[in-house]
Amino acid sequence: MTAVASSIPPSWYLLLAAAVFCVGLFGVLTRRNALYFLMSVELMMNAANINFVAFALYYGDLTGQVFALFVIALAAAEVAIGIGIILVLYRNFGTTDVTVPAEMRW
Amino acid sequence: MVNAFAYVPAIVLLPFFSFLVALGAGRYLPKGGAFGGIAATAGSFLLSIWVAATVAGGRAYNETLYYWASEGGAGIGPTDIELSFGVLIDPLSALMLVIVTLVALLVHVFSLGYMNDEGETGLPRYYAGLGLFTASMLGFVVADNLLMAFMFFELVGLCSYLLIGFNFREPGPPSAAKKAFLVTRFGDYFFLVGVVAVFATFGTAQFAGPESFPALADAALNGSGSVAWTPGGVELGTWLTVVGLLVLGGVVGKSAQFPLHTWLPDAMEGPTPVSALIHAATMVAAGVYLVARMYGFYVLTPTTMAVIAFIGGFTALFAATMGLVKNELKQVLAYSTISQYGYMMLALGAGGYVAAVFHLTTHAFFKALLFLGAGSVIIAMHHNEDMWDMGGLKSKLPVTYYTFLAGSLALAGIFPFAGFWSKDEILYEALVHGLNDPLLLGGYLMGLLAVPVTAFYTFRMVFLTFHGEPRSDTARDPVPVRWNVKGPLTVLGSLAVVTGFINMVPVQKVLGIEGIDLLHLWLDNHWGGIEGLSSHHYADLGPYSSGYLVGGETGTVLVGAAVSLGLALLGLGLAWRLYNVPSPAEHTAKLGGIKDVLYNNYYLDELQVWLAYRTEDVAGGANVFDQGIIDGVVNGVSSVSLTGGGRIRQLQSGIVSQYAALLTFGLVALLLVLGATGGWFL
Repeated sequence: MTAVASSIPPSWYLLLAAAVFCVGLFGVLTRRNALYFLMSVELMMNAANINFVAFALYYGDLTGQVFALFVIALAAAEVAIGIGIILVLYRNFGTTDVTVPAEMRW
Repeated sequence: MVNAFAYVPAIVLLPFFSFLVALGAGRYLPKGGAFGGIAATAGSFLLSIWVAATVAGGRAYNETLYYWASEGGAGIGPTDIELSFGVLIDPLSALMLVIVTLVALLVHVFSLGYMNDEGETGLPRYYAGLGLFTASMLGFVVADNLLMAFMFFELVGLCSYLLIGFNFREPGPPSAAKKAFLVTRFGDYFFLVGVVAVFATFGTAQFAGPESFPALADAALNGSGSVAWTPGGVELGTWLTVVGLLVLGGVVGKSAQFPLHTWLPDAMEGPTPVSALIHAATMVAAGVYLVARMYGFYVLTPTTMAVIAFIGGFTALFAATMGLVKNELKQVLAYSTISQYGYMMLALGAGGYVAAVFHLTTHAFFKALLFLGAGSVIIAMHHNEDMWDMGGLKSKLPVTYYTFLAGSLALAGIFPFAGFWSKDEILYEALVHGLNDPLLLGGYLMGLLAVPVTAFYTFRMVFLTFHGEPRSDTARDPVPVRWNVKGPLTVLGSLAVVTGFINMVPVQKVLGIEGIDLLHLWLDNHWGGIEGLSSHHYADLGPYSSGYLVGGETGTVLVGAAVSLGLALLGLGLAWRLYNVPSPAEHTAKLGGIKDVLYNNYYLDELQVWLAYRTEDVAGGANVFDQGIIDGVVNGVSSVSLTGGGRIRQLQSGIVSQYAALLTFGLVALLLVLGATGGWFL
């Protein structure tokens, strides 16, 4: 397994991560539902995780993997808060469409 | 032992606190805050006495208390310039402190009778003004450098504006206040330029000490030192003359000397106690005091001295002639003030430092007395000031009459009242120095001519007011005045009689009794003082030498005194003949065309208005420049940021997706820029 993984050149991992990140970014920019936002952000974080792990493997250093674990924990916390925000949003506006609440402007 | 000098700031701050109290809580206090002012000035007076006693004990004080800009110098200008507040206590300022606090105290007490008992409104504002006025003048008196003096000088001007315009609902006072403010400000403009010139030239504006600007100027003129800067190519002596004349501009404005005296008669629109304060102790005295304060600088430049003497002598005569024909009690007094300050300027210009300070002292007492006396008459007359409606008040107002008479005898210079001694010394100094200097002799002659004129208008005023038959119903049944009017009058009346005896120089010179010229000894650091600020030092620096008439010094003293006393008695006698009759008539018609000229103040007001209209275009141009260029730049900057902000804030749409898009585009743009500069795409 390790041999297979390390035989793949790191540029493939990076391309995969970039692709996943772009999918997430696309979701954030185009979707109007706040729940999609959360999922898209999750995708972008996991793209970063792929990079961490890929480089950890490439340099034979565990620091990257430890960081990836931290990011997963952070993502869990972020979702908890995000869900809370979306709940409040729904209660106040009756929708999860992010373009409806536009009071915080000039 | 407790150090009296540590309490000098308190002398200034006590009236300032009374200002704050009257302003903030005056309407809740009894008498509109009057007692706060009385307590504060009484405290200042006692502290001043203590300070003067300490100076008499042989000590002086010259300390910088607070640097408000660049302690140790910040490298502005040609040298390191320190801007500071400090206190300078020497015999001159100690004497002045006592005078100012005493007069201010008596004016506060008198105000109880003049303002409170007369049911004036706005009393807290009045007492706040009095407190600030006194505090400003005291700050000016103790100032140890020219810039601090200038700041308090301006505060004094501001307070006079507030107090002259006290009855701002009537048409006269606001206009008079504005005039006083503008005319004195015109002089102060030159003063400000002079302050800057002093800083640029010497790098310091201290009055006293080896590093003070008079000392530096002296050293530079001797060749034993140099100044930091003179404008290119101008010879040092000439430049110092110019600087002296610039500062003199402020003095001429404040001390109401020709041609900037026009504000003072109009300032009579203010309440009478304020007039007393302005004329005797604050404001007008400030100009003369400033010259005395920096006398070590003025004596170095003979031209400036001659100009001071000539302006002074001319003003003394000029103002006195205008006083001849006035019908209002306070107007006569106003012109007498201008005239008397002319005498002081004459003395200063003639090298009579002590004589000038002496006259400043005696005049402060007798002029405060005359104004308060006039105030008492005005109370009695239901605020009618026309002397032709008075007459016969002598028996109705005995206290006012006798004190007013003492003040008038002092003003007219009749032996042995206070004014005789000081005026005689001024004329003596001008004569002995003028025998070798034609310009000074001209000043002396004008001063001498003003003596009979002064005596005449003074006693015309006394006779018209108090003697003869009453000429109106109010004069037949005047309102009685209370203790708070009589008290100050009595104190000042006694002082007007005895103050002359502090400096009996003629007696000393003729009879040879030593040690009765107390003021000379006081100002000559006999008991203590600061080196370089003594009258002897000034006399050594001064440009004059003495000449005597036949009989040497004694003969000159006797002849001078006899001539001036004779002329004063002549004026008094003429007034007696013309006006001390049961029903005096106006004799001014006999003057013919001159009467109109005098009555209209030589048309100087009209001249100034005419000048103002001629210079309208210049002022208009300056206004356009100010509004267009200066304000334009400021307004332009603000409107550019306002419009820019208005445009840019549209970015804040409140829609989260747009923020996210902006973030992304920003990141992409950043990457592109960094990539392009970092060479990725090559």
